[in-house]
Amino acid sequence: MNVVLSSYVNYKDEIIKAILFKVAAIFLLFNPQVFAVNIISNVTADTKSLSVNQLRRIYSMRQMHWNNGTPIVVYVLASKNPLHQKFCQEELRLFPYQLDRIWHKLTFSGYGVAPIEVQNQQALIKAVQSTKGAIGYVENLSEVSDVNIIKIDD
Amino acid sequence: MLTSLKLMIKVPKRTFYSVSLLCSLLFTLRVCAVELGSNSEAIQLHGFIAQGAIKADKSNYINEEQDISFELTEIGINASYQLSDDFRVAGQMVYLNGGNRYHPGIRVDYLLLEWDAFHDETWQASFYLGRVKNNHWLHSSTRDIPFARPSIILPQVTYFDGFRDIAMGGDGGAVKLSFNDDDFGEIDFNFSRGKSAISNDQSEVVIGKFALGELEHDLDLQASVYWRPSFSPWRFGISALDSNFYYNSEQVDYFFDSKFEFQFYSANALYEGERFQFSAELTQVRFVTDGFYFPGFHRDEIGQGYYLQGSYKLNDDLSIMIRNERFYANKDDKKGIQLSQNTGGLIPSYFGFHNDNMLGVSYDFSSNFRMNAEYHWMEGGARLSPIVQPDPLANSSKNWQVWAIQFMYWF
Repeated sequence: MNVVLSSYVNYKDEIIKAILFKVAAIFLLFNPQVFAVNIISNVTADTKSLSVNQLRRIYSMRQMHWNNGTPIVVYVLASKNPLHQKFCQEELRLFPYQLDRIWHKLTFSGYGVAPIEVQNQQALIKAVQSTKGAIGYVENLSEVSDVNIIKIDD
Repeated sequence: MLTSLKLMIKVPKRTFYSVSLLCSLLFTLRVCAVELGSNSEAIQLHGFIAQGAIKADKSNYINEEQDISFELTEIGINASYQLSDDFRVAGQMVYLNGGNRYHPGIRVDYLLLEWDAFHDETWQASFYLGRVKNNHWLHSSTRDIPFARPSIILPQVTYFDGFRDIAMGGDGGAVKLSFNDDDFGEIDFNFSRGKSAISNDQSEVVIGKFALGELEHDLDLQASVYWRPSFSPWRFGISALDSNFYYNSEQVDYFFDSKFEFQFYSANALYEGERFQFSAELTQVRFVTDGFYFPGFHRDEIGQGYYLQGSYKLNDDLSIMIRNERFYANKDDKKGIQLSQNTGGLIPSYFGFHNDNMLGVSYDFSSNFRMNAEYHWMEGGARLSPIVQPDPLANSSKNWQVWAIQFMYWF
């Protein structure tokens, strides 16, 4: 009896898993918010890969120079921008409001500077291409040229 | 109705011109900031403007009339310029009007030179010289920045409005030493020495209008340490402050030459979750008075308090907040009975403590436009100005309430 009951429970679990997987696949396929985040930098930055902690330090303005000594110039989109929110949570593993809090504190206390906010992705790409030591993030790498692509190591 | 509203809103001419001037400057700088765009990374311009309405019942916390007041104005503009890889200059000017909470007017909030003295992957050392802000408590450096603090009225146990101009920072220097490590997380060490220039108007907020002499602030010493474990939602901090003030009486004065010693210790914790946030600060303050009331007078009291604060994001734009706060001015007289007895009943016992329960709501209209609203159930008068000479006539009720609503824009 127990064996029958156990196999019934396992069978039921498998069905639920399959349904959930299909729902998730449909959601991913049709949800316009789902996209990848890629980290890019100006060609003067000598770094090809960063750890999550290093990236957090850069975006929380605790690391201000690349390994070759070039000052880092950080570019971001507005805090409510979906790409910015995805970048914060997936790449930095921080919530956007945490970064806002850090940047506001630096900017309005005089103890530091905040990243430079730009209006859209095109402006961000242009800024990273043209600014020495710049770092930023984009959704689609096919639109980008003349920048370094930075790999994020876990 | 409109006439009665006009009667309630008394805007002095000087204030009107100051606000107009700052607003014009703010607008000009906003336009400049847009024109500079992303090509001028060496210079940064930022600012904010906030206006609200506030009312305190059964207290002169905001105004003597206890009416609805629009004295809830905060305007600020700042600029930062990177002189070279290692040096930067920055300054901020603010206009603040909080009614009786602190002296209204324009202030140079900070004006400093930063030297990035040392940096590698793990350590970063920066020195600041000039007018520097108090960076030691959880919200001390952003207490006047409406969108960067948790509520319109901050917990008075730590951020007592009456001490705003003294606690804000001072002319001197500061050192910030940051340590980053994948195992230990982020550790910040902060030191500062500074002296606040206290105007007569500011003195009046602290010691009252009957003191005709001048209040002078000696160089103070502050230190703090903050630690965030690696990838942790928690952050912890401790701080210490040692400060002296001198009252230099006039030839004809109600009070005498005196020295005030002020020592302040705090410990804090901050939790930042996806929807839930929590913060708490424990404080202990030692206040020693030598002289003032009569030559030879000596009083040495230790006050203690705490606040616990939680907020929850109902969605991306809307959040609610609750706070509980307790403070007593003398740990050996928590109910203020001795205080009342020592003054022959002139000062009621409820001036020995301050408690507050707060409920607040915050709504983001966009990335840089927000509304905050809150209601406070206050008990006691230990955090009402002037602290040295309490005013029991204007604050004749042990229980009093405050509500406030404020709209804020920043760039």
